[in-house]
Formats: sequence, structure tokens, C-alpha cells
Amino acid sequence: MTWSATARGAHQPDNTAFTQQRLPAWHPLLSASITLPLFFCAGLAFIGLGLGLYYSSNGIKELAYDYTGDSGTGNCSVCAMAGQGRAPPPPCSCAWYFSLPELFQGPVYLYYELTNFYQNNRRYGVSRDDSQLSGLPSSLRHPVNECAPYQYSAAGLPIAPCGAIANSLFNDSFSLWHQRQPNGPYVEVPLDRTGIAWWTDYHVKFRNPPLVNGSLALAFQGTAPPPNWHRPVYELSPDPNNTGFINQDFVVWMRTAALPTFRKLYARIRQGNYSAGLPRGAYRVNITYNYPVRAFNGHKSLIFSSISWMGGKNPFLGIAYLLVGSLCILVGFVMLVVYIRYQDQNDDEEDDE
Amino acid sequence: MGWRQSLQGADVPMGRTIYLNEPLRNAFCENSISTAKYSMWSFLPRYLYLQFSKTANAFFLFITILQQIPDVSPTGKYTTLVPLLVILVISGIKEIVEDYKRHMADKLVNSKNTIVLRQNAWQMILWKEVNVGDIVKATNGQFLPADMVLISSSEPQATCFVATSNLDGETNLKIRQALSETATMKTEKQLSNLSGKIKCEEPNFHFNSFAGTLYLNEKSPISIGPDQVLLRGTQLKNTEWILGIVVYTGFETKFMQNAVKSPLKRSKVEKVTNMQILVLFLLLLVMSLVSCVGAIYWKDRYRAEPWYIGKSDYDYHSFGFDLLVFIILYHNLIPISLLVTLEIVKYIQALFINWDEDMHFKGSNVYAMARTSNLNEELGQVEYLFSDKTGTLTCNVMTFKKCSIAGITYGDLSSKSDDGAKGLSQSPCFISDAYEFNDPALLQNFENDHPTKEYIKEFLTLLCVCHTVVPEREGNNISYQASSPDEAALVKGAKKLGFVFTTRMPNSVTIEAMGEELTFEILNVLEFSSNRKRMSIIVRTPEGRLRLYCKGADSVIYERLSENSLFVEETLVHLENFAKEGLRTLCVAYIDLTEIEYEQWLVMYKKAITVVKDRMKTLEDCYDSIEKKFLLLGATAIEDRLQARVPETITSLLKANIKIWVLTGDKQETAINIAYSCKLLSGQMPRIQLNANSLEATQQVISQNCQDLGALLGKENDLALIIDGKTLKYALHVEVRKCFLNLALSCRTVLCCRLSPLQKAEIVDVVKKQVKAITLAIGDGANDVGMIQTAHVGVGISGNEGMLATNNSDYAIAQFSYLEKLLLVHGAWNYFRVTKCILYCFYKNVVLYIIELWFAIVNGFSGQIIFERWCISLYNVIFTSLPPFTLGIFERCCSQESLLRYPQLYRISQTGDIFNIKVLWIQCINAIVHSFILFWLPAKMLEHDMVLQSGYTTDYLFLGNFIYTYVVVTVCLKAGLETMSWNKFTHFAIWGSIMIWLGFFAVYSSLWPTVPVAPEMTGQGSMALVCPHFWLGFFIVPIVCLIQNVAWKSIRNTCHRTLLEEVREMESSGVQVLRRDSVQSFKVEEVNLQRSSSPRPCQVIFRNNSVDLGAPHGYAFSQVERAVISQEELVRSYDTTKNKPQKTFSSATLE
Repeated sequence: MTWSATARGAHQPDNTAFTQQRLPAWHPLLSASITLPLFFCAGLAFIGLGLGLYYSSNGIKELAYDYTGDSGTGNCSVCAMAGQGRAPPPPCSCAWYFSLPELFQGPVYLYYELTNFYQNNRRYGVSRDDSQLSGLPSSLRHPVNECAPYQYSAAGLPIAPCGAIANSLFNDSFSLWHQRQPNGPYVEVPLDRTGIAWWTDYHVKFRNPPLVNGSLALAFQGTAPPPNWHRPVYELSPDPNNTGFINQDFVVWMRTAALPTFRKLYARIRQGNYSAGLPRGAYRVNITYNYPVRAFNGHKSLIFSSISWMGGKNPFLGIAYLLVGSLCILVGFVMLVVYIRYQDQNDDEEDDE
Repeated sequence: MGWRQSLQGADVPMGRTIYLNEPLRNAFCENSISTAKYSMWSFLPRYLYLQFSKTANAFFLFITILQQIPDVSPTGKYTTLVPLLVILVISGIKEIVEDYKRHMADKLVNSKNTIVLRQNAWQMILWKEVNVGDIVKATNGQFLPADMVLISSSEPQATCFVATSNLDGETNLKIRQALSETATMKTEKQLSNLSGKIKCEEPNFHFNSFAGTLYLNEKSPISIGPDQVLLRGTQLKNTEWILGIVVYTGFETKFMQNAVKSPLKRSKVEKVTNMQILVLFLLLLVMSLVSCVGAIYWKDRYRAEPWYIGKSDYDYHSFGFDLLVFIILYHNLIPISLLVTLEIVKYIQALFINWDEDMHFKGSNVYAMARTSNLNEELGQVEYLFSDKTGTLTCNVMTFKKCSIAGITYGDLSSKSDDGAKGLSQSPCFISDAYEFNDPALLQNFENDHPTKEYIKEFLTLLCVCHTVVPEREGNNISYQASSPDEAALVKGAKKLGFVFTTRMPNSVTIEAMGEELTFEILNVLEFSSNRKRMSIIVRTPEGRLRLYCKGADSVIYERLSENSLFVEETLVHLENFAKEGLRTLCVAYIDLTEIEYEQWLVMYKKAITVVKDRMKTLEDCYDSIEKKFLLLGATAIEDRLQARVPETITSLLKANIKIWVLTGDKQETAINIAYSCKLLSGQMPRIQLNANSLEATQQVISQNCQDLGALLGKENDLALIIDGKTLKYALHVEVRKCFLNLALSCRTVLCCRLSPLQKAEIVDVVKKQVKAITLAIGDGANDVGMIQTAHVGVGISGNEGMLATNNSDYAIAQFSYLEKLLLVHGAWNYFRVTKCILYCFYKNVVLYIIELWFAIVNGFSGQIIFERWCISLYNVIFTSLPPFTLGIFERCCSQESLLRYPQLYRISQTGDIFNIKVLWIQCINAIVHSFILFWLPAKMLEHDMVLQSGYTTDYLFLGNFIYTYVVVTVCLKAGLETMSWNKFTHFAIWGSIMIWLGFFAVYSSLWPTVPVAPEMTGQGSMALVCPHFWLGFFIVPIVCLIQNVAWKSIRNTCHRTLLEEVREMESSGVQVLRRDSVQSFKVEEVNLQRSSSPRPCQVIFRNNSVDLGAPHGYAFSQVERAVISQEELVRSYDTTKNKPQKTFSSATLE
């Protein structure tokens, strides 16, 4: 009965602006007269920025070719037909011919694009073992359960790299040939297949397991490659810095895309005569057609693209800025109307009094 | 505590036996009490039980358990558990802090000192060491440590006085009297030799019942009744000391048995919030179902799953499995942090109430105290205010203020005293002299032989003689003890005018009239009763004449005036004037009796007092026969002093559209007086008085009044309804109730008088159910506990009276006037704060987690998350946890001064228009639109995965981090948009949250593999933070989201201004008056709020006699009735010339 209010007096904190809720504060009151100039200013700024972005994006060149091989769309349809309903599809190659009327300004990047491929599917996306990929020997032998059904091979060996993502590694390959003179010989354009993965992926996130007796193959002894692979992971590339888990094609593939239509970097063209870009002339891309996409109604494409400060060609942001800018101006005008009408009304009322 | 008692009761059905002076045989409960919720050991299980009985927490526990099923959870196993633990720990700490305070308070009570007889000597021990059977000695002013039976006291006839206001709220002192068999036992020796036992009933909670028997050795058993029992929590008054045997201790005392835990109240906002959580839960279910259907559709499109996903041994995609996945995926729609955020926010709001210097009563150094923080926002929604009168509106201090003698009124210094009143208005209850009767004209008239000199003398003599007050002399000071505060005021008033009542002896009183000592022999005391409305005294004057002095209500005195009586008309006018000011009036009159008359009457009287049956009635008839042919002397006017600023507060609350009902246990007359003095009633206001004796009569008068009101029924009229407890009993009968409430709710003011505590609670309950508005009850006494607990919000006045009301209240304040600030400022602010905080919490969760739904559309409804799993769970706990706090703690719609100056602003929160299901839906739709923009704009921006300067391609989490960043920015800016008052904390919360996320993003992206978390985040920070698209989107995406909100807000603020915007504009421009003040603001507010129906003057023609249109007369008088010993016996037991025996005794004990 005596937990009384009086007993509390002693514990009162100092009488400050905080305890008396009198802290200085800013009391914004949004009204048409205040937001009116803001909308106009923002609108103009956005339109300016949007125009810049739009032209910047337009300056980026892109050349795409769908080589899925739908019937009657070029010579890859043969491969597509051959692969129909057969797993694994037989090796097949086809080619894409194109010519450039003028220099394709560099640096030029070669991408492949898959559509209707749900890398973002949950069961697909979780089917990997990041510990294994970071070279942890224990995880190499004991992949996590999420990798199932690509956790252990039929023989009971742990799969390295385990999981559905690794198993479905994109295995088409491309080579680019340039015909400098009409009817001249095709010269292979060097494709730089290194440096296509994020620095952190290649140096931090993906690590080969410790070498055994200096051999990567021995390190992977006792593991099986994913069922869809034709060769073990340590033979992905002859380059010791680009094989095993740190093979850059593999690393790029393992970064799963957000949308069912996605692009992956295949190579950079920056060597020799091609550092400034692809000179005019006829070109041929030799395609090793392996990857089955028709099973899920997918398409695959090849894209040559130049890259600016804002990456690849995508006019969306510029358009968005332009639209938002216009919207701001429009709202600004609405504010103006509201402001003027309100002023009139206000004056009337004051006259009434 | 009830169960303790029933257990005990089951063991010992025969009641308890207490053995005197045999401590070992008396094994009962300890006297230490504990009001704490937890002990060291019970904390964890009890706390967890309490927490998980909250639906939201149980839901998250359920999700946590679901997440443990392998492969179900898209977000890992512990991502809900960890935030849940964080939240439980935070509220656990809060619980511990609060419980610790209770433990400390208990300790304080338990370690008070008292004196008991141990080993034949008086010893000072702590309260908690008191045992049943101990003999306790308590001295004047002390609180009693346990329930005990009175053995003896210092007073004549072994009586003592106790203040029971702690228990029942009654202000008059109660008389207790020891059994005559024990009354002489006063020394240690006598007491130590006492042997025998007391048998009594089991502990119960009835204050006014006690049944026991005292078995003293070698004596016949004596029964003990409630008149011998002193209860814990009562205070000894006007009694030097008492001795008592402890019968009940600790939890078994009646005080503790009554101290039930106040029922858990939940605010309206909380209820709406729970509804809204339910809505969100439905939304969650709908989204999960939609996603499941989507998953089926997706599978259907492909017949089988694409080859790259991989076949599994068992069927993942059963419908039920998918549903669980999606429920876990979307479960964060329900804001996990909302409850704990609200708890902390409300706790701090409560601290602000506690800290408020404007509600700090310096007189007794009492701060306001929020005893619960659940109802802070409810304070902003009060529509009906039920107020107790005594001690709440009034100070319960009576002062003789004015009088009318022989047709001349004195003490009417209205103009001067008003000025004085203003200056002193801060603490009038504690100032005595400045307020008392002060009119030199009276004495001048007396000294200068004014024609009315004799009347003045007679008048003052009457005031000195005709009463039951006992004087107490200490040195030269005389203090008066009275069970009637009115009489005390009159005697004090007379003393100030030179007529000093000095001595009371059993058969006479002595006064000093202007220095001349006069002794009046008291022959008879004709007692007061509320029926008679008067008390008289028959004396033999010093000159030897027989005279009857009478004071009482004007109505009864005027009936009995002789035709010769003068100044009748003038006095009546004065009475009306007094009454209009709300003063309590009494008429005083006298009559000289002849010896024969008196002798005859005495015979009658002696016969009457021996009558057994209906003695009261016979006595009253007998009194009546001699009280006639009075000669009027004049009238007195006593001020039942109002607390500071009561009229102003009431005016202000009325302006805020709060209807005020006065519920009092006091008499009708008193209630009306007070209603006048605090401006609840005005002179012209018609008063409907409902006083009926039967159900039929009640029904009839109510329906008659309803008919008279006609079309005005149901609207607010300038009428007052006055009803007494008996009539109310009938009026609340099922068949009349509706009609009565219709009538009552059509009146501006309702006064309910003579209510029992239960009726107070009942009427609050009825109104609460009928009007569905928020009710607030304010009171100070134990009799108000019921209504305080029943009303939505209970406010206790922590004044001089006991703490029972305070302890059962939700908020305790020291003065009625603090209610103004509590409601208009704290209430309105807290309402804005809490509702904004809740809506914002809903908003931010919907924004983030609906994005998963948009993402599901492009990922084949597989349940994939787009954000990193820990980022998802930290969203509520860290990155967006601060803005809700600043909204909940620092938001201010406008300044305190404006809120007090324009009470109309209260209506915004009162109507609750800014927080209901509709508002929630608007907010949700807004959030869904925002989340749509927030997902699709970045998704389109990153469409080709080629946004990096070095040509690298990106992944799903890259998009996720873009979106997450934009969500944090948007949500923080939205908080800024909602905030009406930005202080330094707001800035910190809004800009700080964005910075914290960006910092966290950078750090978190570089942990793997050093710290084994979030491998998928590796390198995200370093790539995203240098990506131009990231920063380009950083500006445009939140702006696209918020542009509509900004536009909408500015248009509304411009076209559709409410009073609030006017006031805010006035504040920011620094002008002190509204641009369109008074008239205009009223107009604006009428237009905008549509609710206000200002009371119009009443034009009803009443055709029934229950309506009183005349001026009031203001009679009121309070006096104990039907006590243990009659007033006559009491006055005759005193001889103030003698020293009380205790003096020697108490000095002996000190040695």
C-alpha cells in the first residue's frame, strides 16, 4: 500500500528539455506552396539526368543471335533436332556468320543468354555447398544435404562439386573467327576466358581443396563429377589457375541469376588487334552445341556487347528518369492549380469576414 | 489471493483460534506481503508462459518450430528464433526492472516499525515480524500493521477514532470501542497476565463484518463485533494510543484480501491492432494460397520439372508442403518487433507522464504516475468522464465562507477574494487563513452597536454551542475534532470572530464570547439525521433560560419558522446567492422554551428513548414536536473547497467534447452545490431530478421526460440530470435502462448521488456498453475503486486520502486539474504516437515481404528468397527499428501550449478516425504499391545482368541487395514523411538507419569464409556500392515510391485544412494567434470534424414536476449517522478539562 507516488519523487531525473518533451524540433508542414518548387526542380533535374542516361545507353552497341535452333533459323537447328529427346545429346557444332560494317567499339564482351531457365528456383538455388566450394576438405567428402539428389553418385562417392547448379553447368563453347578480307581466311580472335568472374569469387569464395602431392587430381580423388559432366572438375581447363573449383566458367555459372532470362559473361575480347574492338569485316562464331534448352522451352543466345560506365545496354533507367521527371513536372502543375485555387478561396473567406 | 484463503478455509473450517500470550500456538500466515509478480525461481517459467500466451509470440514460436523441419524453410532454421529471443530478452529485462521496483516497495512496507509486547516489555519491531496473537500498541497518526481487536485505548470509554479512507474512501472518522471487559487493561503487567483465546471467522474481504468470541479465563465468553476491530491500512486519529490483539496478518488482512489485482485492461487501439494483425494473417494465408496455386500452375506448364532442377526421391511439391514453405516465406508480414516496440514506446511515454513537471504537485512533492503503460493512447480517446466528487473535485476541506445574519450578508468580498484566489490557485488545499471568512464589517457592526448586534451575538453563540465538536487544547492553541467537517468549519469560523469554544464537559460547554466566559448547560442533543436534515441542542443559558438552538436545511427550518420571524425573505435571497456560488448552506434558528414546555417534552423524550421497536422513528417524532416556532437568525455558507483550477479544467474538458458525469456517494444537495461551483451547472440550466421510490414511478418519470424532450432526445442538450442511488437502482433495471440512458446521454451534465461503490461501477459499465465510447473514471477513495477498474481508463487522485484508489488506478495524479494535461496533451500525443508507430510497423513489413510475392512470380513460385536470410530477420530488429521508436516517442502533432489552448484539437484523437481497419487497408495498399515499385524498377534496371563497368554479370542477390537498400531508404523516408516533428533523435533514426544498413552491407559482404555466415553475400558490397546503377536507383526508386505520398499530403494540407494544420502553421510562423481565430477556427473545425454539436440552449417545455427550473438553495451537511455510540453519548463522554490518562502512560513507555 505504500508504493506510493510520493516515494518516487526522489528518483525523478533532472528537469530537462528531454524529460519535459520540449526538445527543439523542426515542424515541417507540407503544403502546395512548399512542394510546388520542389516538384519543378526535381522534375527538371530528373529529365536532364534521364536524357543523359538515355543517350549514354543508346551509345552502347549490342549484337545478339539466338542459336537455339528453332526450325529454319540457321544451321543450329540441325543440332537442336539431333539433341531432341536424347540425353545426353550427341556432340554437335554449328556456326553463326555475321559481318560488321564498321568498327564495333571495344572493349567487347561476349555473353550467352538463356531464357526460361529458372536459376532462381528455390530447390535449384539451394542445391550447392559453399563450404565445399571454398575448398574445405571435410565438405569435399561430405557434401551438405541440400545437394541431393546430386550429393553422392550412384557408386556412393561424394559428388564434387555437388548440387543441381553445378550439375547443370552451361557447356556450350564458342570460338570467334574473323575474316579480314572478303573470301580471305578466317583468323581466330583470341577470347580472354579469365577475368570473367568477380574478383571475390575467384579469390575468396571459390578455392580448390589443398593439393595432395602437388596434384589437384589427387585432391579430388574419391569424388565423382556431377552426372551430367563429361570430365572431372580438375580437368575443366588445362590452366592450373583456371581449373577445379576456380574455373571461371564454373564460377560465373554458380552465381545464380535473379530472373528466368539471364546473361552470363563468356569472354572478353581485348587482346592483340582487338583491344579497341572488333574491326569491320565478316565473322564466324563456331558453336559447340551441347546444352539442351528445348526441354524447358528455353532459348539460348550469343551477345556481343560493348560496356560503358553504366555497364551494358539498358535504356530502362534513362526512360525511368525521363518519366519520373515528367511526372514531377505534371504534379508540379497540379500543385500550381491547387495553390492558385486555394489562394482564391482563402481570399474570399477573408473578404467574408 | 483468493485461493490462499480458500485453501486455508478448507483446512480449518471452524475458523481460527488465537491463544493469548501463547505465541507458539498461533501459527498463521506471516505479516510480510509481496505484490511482486515473480520470484527468483518462478521467473523463467512464468515469464515464458505469459509471453507465449500472446498470440503474436505464439505465432512466431510456431514458425520457429516449423523452420526446424528439414527442407521446409526457405530462410534457414534460426532466422526467426534469434529475433524472437532478442525480443523476449528485451521485454524480460523490462519485466525484471518493474518487478524489482515492486519488490523494493514491498520491502519498504514490510520494514516499517511498530511496537508490540514481547517478553513482558514493549519492543520496537518491523511490520513483517508481527504475528497473530501479538499485542500491538499504536499511537496517534500511525497506520495499523495488521487487523486487530481493540483491547483498550487512551480515550474515555475505551473509544478510538480511525480514518478508514484507505479502505472505503469515507472521509469521516470511524469510532471503535473496546469491550468493557478489556477496557481497563493498560499496563504491561495486566496484558502479560492475560490468558484465554479468541475464536473468530476465517479471513475474508468484508470490511464491515467480523464475528468472533473472546474467551477470557474464568469469565464467560464475550462476542466481538466489527466495532472492536481495527484493520490494517487504517490510520489512528485523535487518539493518543490504542492496544490491540492481532487477529489477521499479511495476506489474510481484510485490506490485502481486498487489494485485488486490477483487471488487465486493453486499449481500443490494442484491440484494433489485434484485428489488424488478424487481417495481416489472413493476407498471409491468402498470399500463401495464391503462391501454392501458382506453384501448381507452374508445374503444370512444364508437366514435369525442368531437368536441371533434379529429381528427388520424395515428392516435395505436395500442396501442404508448399503451403508451409510459403507461410514461412511470408510470415514476416506480421511484424515481429511490433509488440516489443510498442511496449518500449509506451513505457517511455509513461515515463514522460511520470516526469512531467506540470503534473508535479509541489505541495506534497507528488508526481503523476502511470501505473500501467497499456492505456497511454486511450487517454487521447476519452469521451465520457466519470468523476468522484469528494477529494477529487473538492479538497474535502470545509471553510466557513459567508453568512447572512439578520438579513445582512457578510463575507461577500467576491471581487477581492477572486484576485486572491487567482494568485493562490496553485495549491488552495494547503492554505488555510487566506481563504477563511474575513469580513471586518461583521465585527464593526457588532462593536458599533449596530441594530442587529443582538442577532449577531446570538448567531455566533449558536455556532459555538450547537454542535458535537470536541476541543483539544495544546498550550494556547485549541484544535477541534469533529466527525462532521461542516461543524468543524463553523466552530472554527466562530472562533475567528471572537466566539471561542473552549471546553466541553459531559453536561456543559464553555465558550469565550469576546473574552467573556460563558457556560451553557447541555440538556439535550437532538441528533442529526439525513431524514431530519437538522440538528438541535437544548441548553440552559448562563442567564438560566432554556433555549433550543437549531441548524439545518432551509427547507426544514422555513417550515418551522414562527410568524414572528424576521428577515425571512432577505435570507432566502441570500441563500440562493450562496447556492449559486456552490456554497453549502445551513439555516440557523433558535427558540426560547418555557420550563413547562420543556418538562412536558422531557417526559415524552424519556419515554421515547426506552422504546425498543422503531426507536429512531419515535425519537424523531419526539424531536419534531419541540422543534417548532423557530426564530430565524440567518444562514451560514460553507465552502467545500474545490481543488485548484477545477472549473477551468472542466470548461476545457467540455470544450474537448468530453462529457462529464459526477458520481458521488455524497448527498444530492452537496453534489448540486459542487456542480454549481465547478461550473458544470449554470443558473439557467434546467435540472431534471429523478427521485422515485419504485420501479413504476421511475419508469413513469423517465418516459415522461423522454417524451418532453421529443426530437431533442439523443442530442446534446443544455440540461442537467440529477438522480439518486435508489432511483438509479430502478433506472438500471433491464426494461428501463435503455430509456434512462437515452435520457442521460441527452443531457449535458449528469449528477448521480448517494451511490454505493457498486453502483458507481455499474453505471460506468452500462454507459461503456451502451455508447461504445472510451470512458474514464477518476476518484480518490476506496469507494471509487470499482468504477476505476470498470472504466476503460481509471485515474486515481493520490491525495491525502488512502492509496487504494491510486493502487487500483491506471494513472495516478495529484490534482484533478492535471487531468487536463494528461488527456489533452499526453493523451492526444500518445494516441498520435502509438497509432503512427503501429501503422508504420505494418507498412514497413508489408513493403519488404510482399516483395517476396513479386519475386515468386518470376521464380516459378518455388519459395526462393531474394534477400539474404539474416538480412530479412534483421530488418525489423536493426535496420528499420529506430524510426518506429522516434515516431512512438517523439512525434508531436503540435505543441503542448496549442493543445491546451485549443481543446477542440482533442477531437481528432477522440474520434479515432486516424486509426481503424480502413486506414490500415489504405496503408497496406500503399505498401503494396510501394513494394511493387520497389521490386519491378530494380528488376528492370538489372534486366540483363550487365550493370557492372567491368562487364561482369550479376546474380539474384545482387538484385536483392539493390531492392533491400531501396526498401530501407524508402521506408526510412516514409517515416520522415509521417513525422510532424523532427528532433535530433528523428534525424539520427532516419539517416542513421540508412547509414547502418550501408555499413552493415559493406561489412557483411566480406565475412565469408572467415566467419561462416552468408557465403552468398561475398563480394556483394564491394560490387554494388561502386555500381553506378545502384546510386542512380538509390535516388529515383524511393522518390517514385514517395512522390504520390508527398503530392497527396501537400494537396490535402492545402485544400482541406483542419484546425490542426492551422495551429501547426501558426506555430511554425511564430504568430501567437490563429490567422482565422475563434469564430473562424470554430467554423473550420465544424466543417472538418462534423461531429461537434455544440450544446444549444434548451427550449423544451417540461410538463412534469421532476424538472427543477428554480434556483438552488444549497443545503448540505455531513455527519456520521448510526455510529457505535450516539452523538449525544459521545459528547457527554468528554471532559476536556481533565488530562487524559495516557499522558503518564505514554511517558512511561518511552523510558
